[in-house]
Amino acid sequence: MNLKEVKQLIDLMNENNLGELEIERDGLKIRLKKEGEKIKKEEMVTTVSPAKPSESTEIKDGQLQKKEGFFEIRSPMVGTFYRASSPNAEAFVEPEQEIEEDQVVCIIEAMKLMNEIKSEVKGKVVEILVKNGEAVEFDQPLFRIEIT
Amino acid sequence: MFNKVLVANRGEVALRIIRACKEMGIKTVVAHSKADRFSLPVRVADQSICIGSSSSQDSYLNIPAIISAAEVTDVQAIHPGYGFLAENPHFAEICQSCQIKFIGPTPESVTLMGDKSVAKQMAKKAGIPVIPGSNKIVRTKDEAIKIANRLKYPVIVKAKLGGGGKGMRLAHNDGHLVSAFMTAQAEAEAAFANSDIYLEKYIEKVRHVEFQILGDNFGNIIHLGERDCTIQRNRQKLIEETPSPIMTKKLRKKMGEAAIKCAKIVNYVSAGTIEFLVDKDNNYYFMEMNTRIQVEHPVTEMVTGIDLIKAQIRIAQGEKLKFKQSDIKFNGCSLECRINAEDPQKNFTPSPGKISRFDIPGGRGVRMDTHVYTNYEISPYYDSMIAKLITYAKTRSETIRIMQRALEELVIEPIKTTVPLHKKILNNPNFLRGRVYTDFIEEMLDKSG
Repeated sequence: MNLKEVKQLIDLMNENNLGELEIERDGLKIRLKKEGEKIKKEEMVTTVSPAKPSESTEIKDGQLQKKEGFFEIRSPMVGTFYRASSPNAEAFVEPEQEIEEDQVVCIIEAMKLMNEIKSEVKGKVVEILVKNGEAVEFDQPLFRIEIT
Repeated sequence: MFNKVLVANRGEVALRIIRACKEMGIKTVVAHSKADRFSLPVRVADQSICIGSSSSQDSYLNIPAIISAAEVTDVQAIHPGYGFLAENPHFAEICQSCQIKFIGPTPESVTLMGDKSVAKQMAKKAGIPVIPGSNKIVRTKDEAIKIANRLKYPVIVKAKLGGGGKGMRLAHNDGHLVSAFMTAQAEAEAAFANSDIYLEKYIEKVRHVEFQILGDNFGNIIHLGERDCTIQRNRQKLIEETPSPIMTKKLRKKMGEAAIKCAKIVNYVSAGTIEFLVDKDNNYYFMEMNTRIQVEHPVTEMVTGIDLIKAQIRIAQGEKLKFKQSDIKFNGCSLECRINAEDPQKNFTPSPGKISRFDIPGGRGVRMDTHVYTNYEISPYYDSMIAKLITYAKTRSETIRIMQRALEELVIEPIKTTVPLHKKILNNPNFLRGRVYTDFIEEMLDKSG
């Protein structure tokens, strides 16, 4: 890789409004990051994690694929969080599992009533943020989902 | 003794309860809305739990959420503060059935005294003077006209489930009465889900004098003196003081005994307040009973030396009242100004927003009960009271002078508050003479334009 190629990469970044670009080729890895890039915080999306190298180098129709967003499923009530419908049942979801919109992801028990909590998005369970049997408050993040 | 108490309220009263608990070695959990997550009560409580989004319906009035919060945080008792669910018998009942102690009276006494018309009848039966009125619910406007003419105008139309100055309409003649009747019914339906109204003779030139009582589970009931709350705007109290400028030892004894008699009718437990109206000739009339701790309780605390919130908690823990009536002594005077985030120049429209500067007054004889701090964002979702400025001294004139000085020291920027109005009232010759009636503010504002 020579300087000309690096400059071409920089131009590519600017043309496509990218903050970060990572390329691996011939055993050489290069990462370019723009200074002072602000990460836009949206209500539903928490952090935008750095994309894997293979994803960022993919060029589709001359446009680089934008980084995917994350979504947090938050508790709609105060209660106790359960991963399964009963103590001996299988958990509704596991990390890395793909889920659909409206799929039940957990139970929140409030005043002896079991409430099924559904996912608002389609995606992959990245992280389960609460332990089974833990008390949760209103709006507390329960699951981090990578939107697909 | 309680290990942990849940505070089901917000703002200055939540802070007040947390403070009392801390001093008693009781752990605290505050149930709060999303809008209040950066509030001072949330910061100082041992635990906090978000129970809903910003609207009161979703949070502070959300019974299932509050009970659920109490269960997951494993508390022994709930203090409801004032307002919100404090006088909701349904909530008190649910606490009981969930084996959580409700720091307040029994659901039965809340229900009985909550019906203002029934409360009056009970007081009358017990030989306590009441304001002449309809004696029962008035169902039709023809009935209303008949009763109003018997009582003689002016009359006031009141909602049976009202209170705190809400759901009332004044009428000076039959024409007024018909519209007042219809409007009051509609307002009552909207505010209390019950359109039942009753009529009362409107006595002009009255003072509002209320008595604080405390009752334990052993039938002991005492009174802790009066508070004069005559300075009101739209029937919302603005300034309260004790002792009342019109009070004499004899009158206090008579009214105090009447207040206790009233509380005994429902075997009252915890803190409560009996409100009376007193006319120009010092005749007193029972108006209503409030089955909760009141906003203006600090002035009673200053002159009696008794912490009313701690008393409530001890009573709820099953303890006997520590004092007899003869133990209650009144020392000095106390005054309270309710500082509201409202613009007096724009008809008291609420003035929420971020506080860039909040200088609290201090020095001898000053107490400030507030949940506000510099950079705090006053949200538009709740009531506008942001602070209670309380002063106390040996004499009424010194108490007033300290309040005047404290109001000068108090700086709240950039929002608008009722502080300029308080300053005006405290310089008014009638107020200084202690010669005011409930129409004082309206008259004062009318004169100045």
